[in-house]
Amino acid sequence: MYQLYCNAGQPTGTNNISSPLKLFPVPPHALKLGQDGFKKVCRTEEGSPCPFPGLESGVLEMRVKEGSKIRNLMGFAMARIQGEKDTSGGGLRQVVFTGSGRAVTKTITCAEIMKRKVGSLHQLTKLQYKVVKEVWESTEGAVTQMTVHRTVPSISILLSKDPLDPQEPGYQPPESLGALWEEKERADPSSQATGKRPLEPLLYSGLHHCKRTCLGEGVSVTPSPLTG
Amino acid sequence: MMEPRIPGMSIASQSAQVHAESTPVTVEMDPVEYTLRKRLPRKLPKRRNDVYVNMKTDFRAQLARCQKLLEGGGHREICIHGLGLAINRAINIALQLQASSQGVLQLAANTSTVELVDDLEPDDPDEAREPMTRTRNNSAIHIKVFYPDPQ
Repeated sequence: MYQLYCNAGQPTGTNNISSPLKLFPVPPHALKLGQDGFKKVCRTEEGSPCPFPGLESGVLEMRVKEGSKIRNLMGFAMARIQGEKDTSGGGLRQVVFTGSGRAVTKTITCAEIMKRKVGSLHQLTKLQYKVVKEVWESTEGAVTQMTVHRTVPSISILLSKDPLDPQEPGYQPPESLGALWEEKERADPSSQATGKRPLEPLLYSGLHHCKRTCLGEGVSVTPSPLTG
Repeated sequence: MMEPRIPGMSIASQSAQVHAESTPVTVEMDPVEYTLRKRLPRKLPKRRNDVYVNMKTDFRAQLARCQKLLEGGGHREICIHGLGLAINRAINIALQLQASSQGVLQLAANTSTVELVDDLEPDDPDEAREPMTRTRNNSAIHIKVFYPDPQ
């Protein structure tokens, strides 16, 4: 048995076996281990500092994995933040969604769904590299194990019913859905002049804009959490 | 990213998403008879310091482009955008930029939902079927990579 540490403790690069800039996504076959008769037997994320210092220890952390079902994650998280129907409490004040590697997109999707359904949530997003330890075992011949340390991008999204520090990098105020784009379009008028794309999607949202403003401004459009 | 928000604007985009979600799925689609064609995402702002990351361009080229903007281009901040699968790559580029700046560069990430439109085109022109469109949502990330102002 021997151990191979590639890139241990060096957050700047990923996966030194192949070319140093072949970074992400780094599927296992980038290492050519799978083709050389190796099988991944275990994958553990190494502890990294919490990206939200000063957060209470009791906060619900949803760890989103590649194979997690959004339905299951959201069923659990929504029940916790809205509060169970039979308890008097209004549910948790804060939730953290974390995910790394190929689960990053799913993590964002979960946060986006929760923001839409719950409404009025303050958001703080943090990015960092996470070290993942993988143990590979030879599938042919002698039992050989390899330990591979790999750095993968990870995301942590804090959603809070209570206000967060707006000066903190990565802060998003409630109901800022898509507002990023609108602001920029206003900030740079030349982008409209050079627009070559058909106008249909713009028209489309414009129509609904009229409709929606009649219903009242800034009102969360989600149904009341406690029905029945 | 830090400009004051305009309430009317944010409501417009919000309602669009609500619409997409609340539309009952009445489209009975027969996969054999329709071709699904994905439209490009709607036109988005493009300033000199906006970088839209995709999965077709070589990773190194996209990273180099960002580095050039920050070092040679004289920009104090750039904005890296990624949609769907390209979110990972956008994050990776941002973290690489930060690491190669010895931690001088800071990141501020925001997430959003982008509405996408698919066209369903009938394959058989003889049959009287109407072309249809279907909207769906995808997640996106917008990372501001910037040199913090000296305090």
